Order: sequence, then C-alpha cells, then structure tokens
Amino acid sequence: MAKANGKSKWIKGLGAVAVVGVAVAAGLYLAGSSSGDIPPASVDFAKLGPQEYDVLYKRGEQVFRAGDCAACHSSPQTGAELAGGVPMVTPMGTLYGTNISPSKEHGIGNWSADDLYRAVATGIAPGRKVLYPAMPYASYHQITRGDSDALWAWLMKQRPVEVANKPGEMQFPFNIRPAVALWNVVNRPAAKEFDYTVNELARGRYLVDTLGHCAECHSPRTKVTFAMDTSRYLEGNTIEGSYAPALTPGALGERGWTRDDLVKFFRTGLSPQGVMTFRMASVLDHSTSHMPEADLRAMAAYLTQNQDMPGLQPKAPQTQVNVKGENLYVGLCAGCHGVQGEGQPHSSVPMSTNTTAMFPTPINLIRVIREGVEERDLAHGERMQTMPGFADKLGDEEMADLVNYMRQTWGGQPGNVTASDVAGHVRTIEHSK
Amino acid sequence: MQDRIQFSATINRKKIGPVDVPKDLMMIEFLQEYAGMNGTRLGCGQGVCRACTIIVDEPGKGSITVPACVTGVTWLNGKTIRTVEGIASVDDKGVVHPSPVQKAFLEHYSFQCGYCTPGFVNSATVLMEKLEKNPVPADDVEKAIEQQLEPHVCRCTGYVRYYSAVRDVILKTPGLTTGKRTKEVANNG
Repeated sequence: MAKANGKSKWIKGLGAVAVVGVAVAAGLYLAGSSSGDIPPASVDFAKLGPQEYDVLYKRGEQVFRAGDCAACHSSPQTGAELAGGVPMVTPMGTLYGTNISPSKEHGIGNWSADDLYRAVATGIAPGRKVLYPAMPYASYHQITRGDSDALWAWLMKQRPVEVANKPGEMQFPFNIRPAVALWNVVNRPAAKEFDYTVNELARGRYLVDTLGHCAECHSPRTKVTFAMDTSRYLEGNTIEGSYAPALTPGALGERGWTRDDLVKFFRTGLSPQGVMTFRMASVLDHSTSHMPEADLRAMAAYLTQNQDMPGLQPKAPQTQVNVKGENLYVGLCAGCHGVQGEGQPHSSVPMSTNTTAMFPTPINLIRVIREGVEERDLAHGERMQTMPGFADKLGDEEMADLVNYMRQTWGGQPGNVTASDVAGHVRTIEHSK
Repeated sequence: MQDRIQFSATINRKKIGPVDVPKDLMMIEFLQEYAGMNGTRLGCGQGVCRACTIIVDEPGKGSITVPACVTGVTWLNGKTIRTVEGIASVDDKGVVHPSPVQKAFLEHYSFQCGYCTPGFVNSATVLMEKLEKNPVPADDVEKAIEQQLEPHVCRCTGYVRYYSAVRDVILKTPGLTTGKRTKEVANNG
C-alpha cells in the first residue's frame, strides 16, 4: 500500500512538473511570438496627397536599397527583385528568401503598414507567424516607423510577382517554426526606433547596424543559439563558406582602408583593397551601388569612427617565402596580377594592396583561386574580367604552397597553411552550397 | 627566387631545353620568341579570348587547355605540351595529314580570318579526347561542345560553323557518343 502511495506521489509530482513545463513553454512562446506594442503609423496613408506620397515612395526606395532587401528576396532564376528564392545555407538547414512583392496570393499584398513594421522590426508576420532570424529583425529592430512606412508605400506600388514561396529545408528540430519564439525570448532585442538625425556618425550607425545589418555576417555567432555575438561586434566571421572580414576601425586601418576607399568600394565594388565577391557582390548590385553618396560617407565615417586612417601600407614581405608557391604564382597568376602583384587597372585586382591575403583565415583566398570569379559589370563604370578557377590545376598541397606564398608576400601572415587545412576549408566551402 | 629559370618541356613530342629564360616569361612568348613557333596566337593577352589556347597533357590526369598568354613558364616547366603545330600528323614522306577536327573545319569553312582557329582546334581536340573516355548521349553533343568552346571568342562571329563542324566530326566518329541521335539540326554550314 505504501509502495502504491509512493508511486502515485511520484506520478503526481511528474504531472506537476509537466504542467509547469507546458505553462512555461506556452509563456515563452507567447512572449517570443508577440510583437509587443508598436509605434503608431508615421502618416495617415488615407489622407496623403499625391505629392506627399511621392516623397514617401522615394524615401521607401532608399530604405529598400539601404536595407538590402533584394539580396535575399530576388529570384536567382529571373533576377526579379521581389520574387524571393535566394537560398541561405545555415548549419541548421537551408531557407529561401520569400516573395515580398504585393502579390495577394504569394507575397505581402494583404499586409498593412503595421504588419510590415511588425515583421521587419520584430520578426512576427500576420497570424502570429514567427519568422526565422535569417530575416535580420535582430538588426532591423531599430528601424524607424517612418522608414518602415516609406518602405511599405514603395513595396505596395511595385508590380506583383506571382511566384510561390519555396519552403525551407531545415533539419529537425529547427523545422518547428513556433520554436523560433523561444529563440526570440533569448536573442531578440526590443523594437526601438533609432534617432539617426543627430549627426553623420549616428546616420552611419543606423545604416550599418540597422538597415545594412552588416553585423549579421561580419560578427561571430554564439555557439549555443547562433545569434550575433554582440560582445564580438564586427570582429569578422566565416559564414556560408567565406570569411566576412572584421570591420572594426582597428582592423580596417590594419588592412589599409580609408574613408574614401570605403566609399569607393561601396559605390563601385572596387578599391585598391579588392573587389566585392561572394555575398557582397549582391550587396553591391542591390544595395550600396544605389545609395546616395552622403549615406555611403556616413557609413564610412561610422565604421572608421572618424579616426585618421593610415591608408594603404603594403605589408613587408617575409624574408623566406614558399618557393614552390612563388613558382605557382608566377606561372598561373602573374600573367594578370603581375609578378609584383601590381594588377591591371579595371581588369585584374592588385595583390600587393588586396586585403584577402591579410585575413586571419585563408578560406577566401582558397575559394577565389579554386572557383575563380565570373566577369562582372560592377557599378558606376567599373568592371572586372573573368578570373578562371584553378580547381582542376591545383591539388591541396599546391594550393597550400600558393596560398602560403601570397600570405607571406602580401598578407603579413605566416606560411603555415597545410594541405589538410586546405582540404578542411574546401569542405566548409562545399558544405555552404 | 632567381630572376631566370632553366625551362624544359616536351612540346609536340619533342624535348626542348633547358633554355635560360626570365622567370616571368609567359608561354606564348616562349613559343614565339624562343621556340620559333608562331601558330599560337596572341589575342587579348589577358586569358579571355582563348586564341592562344595550348594543350597540357598530364599523365593520369588527362589533357587540359590553358591560355598561353597568361600562363607562365614556371608552371609549364617539365610538362608535356601540344600546340596547334602538333595536331596534324606527318607521314614518312613528309606529307601533312590534318586531324579530323582540322578536316572538319576545312570542310565547313569554319574560319574567316583564321586568327582564333588554332585555339578552337586545340579545344575541340581536347573535347574529342575527353569524349573518347567518357562518351555522351548523341543528343547531348551540343551541350558538350558549348561547355568546351564557350570561352573562345571569334571576332568574325564564325561560331555557327565552328560548332557545326565540331558537332559533325563528333557524331561521325564512332565511340564518342552513345545512343541514337533524335535531334534534327539545320545544316548551317
């Protein structure tokens, strides 16, 4: 009898724990899937005259560009900017950018300006649908209601694209979308409008941190929840098979950046420090090449914190360099990039001031050499010719030699990359595809 | 590294070198200025137009094409190379017999000014050799040709005849394709 009593107590206890657990989970879900109070609309759309609408529309386009929405919400097949479909490969699975055209069936044609603000600033779509944080609401949370409303005004006037969304391919348990609410409880900052009107630095910070969401790629992520590690803000991160370099003023200065060169890089995709590649290529295409120069200057001012930057200072080559790597460089690369790494203007980038060899990881160097870079019109008249890929010509050992030579000669880095390091980086790159 | 290297290679089945050359010499300069072989054409000088394509034969790896204008001798040192001068065969009496690719180009009158032709000959030759090892379905020949010849630029825009000639020679050569051809293509020369 006593035994039976003990068992029943145990069951009751377990039941109580389960009830508390469910209640806590429900509470967390409610908190994480709530957008909380949102600021009132900045304008009364019903009362807007055509001229006022036009002003808002133009501002909306600027927000759309600065927010780089199209980089993820374009069709990789047709290039239609709002159709969605760009894959984003994460360690938890692949997500696809959604249709954000005003299509009522597939896009956001039924959304109000409030709905758009909630989605952008808090990650909650109509119907309490929690968005995956691949949509960077953790950065967009400081967007002003005025900018969000302008974006809505612009989006709703675009041509609807009748293309269905592609469902994500997330692994279990990350495919349980409501669970993102729990992530929100821990990692989502409260939506709070940022006052960017104070000065140029504030404007720059708003563009870099909020609309440009630069830290999403350029900051390391925490191991536990894969959120931006705010304690290592803009310190650089390997994401989607390439290294998004550190953007702190110290790191930028170390790699020879100046404010003017940053502006040139944002505007044209090219500067003495290199050419935009990988995901940054679409940032150029859809975002920075369309932004007003004053905004680009503000971003450069913020990133450098208005400090005096030393400018280009090629690294002193190491006295001992990898001789096999030098032979490979002179045989395969120097025809375009020059024996001394001098490059050819508007055709192939110089190596001597390029920052890729200066990065702490050789992954980008390896990737560019293996895969090459397609011929591209950059922006504002700049273009780059095709760089062929050398995957079929270089084994891991040779790649290590070549990369070591380049890092020793132009990167101020040691020549300690091994063939097995190369193989590891290649696995990381291939996994991201 | 020294400024000069001793360069040797097997070019068109003949051993050449060692020749004392600057380390930053590009292969096209070696072929034209040191080896007296001017069949390889300098086009853009930036590895883009592929007029200067030569073949590198690597035992075990097969053959690849490289642009001689931007490929330096340091990488080709010791390697086995074919240029357009080595594609035709010469019999005991010294009579030159064009290769099947060269014959097809002649029959289709594939070239106008002919400047890009050596590059097309070499690339098409490598394609034939690839297909010998890995035949493609007869209906996929166009895709294979496009993949191989796409980087080649012909300023006379002779692409249609080049592609027709290569398609014909591949389809007529036993062993390069599998299955029956079901596609009909207009004869464009």
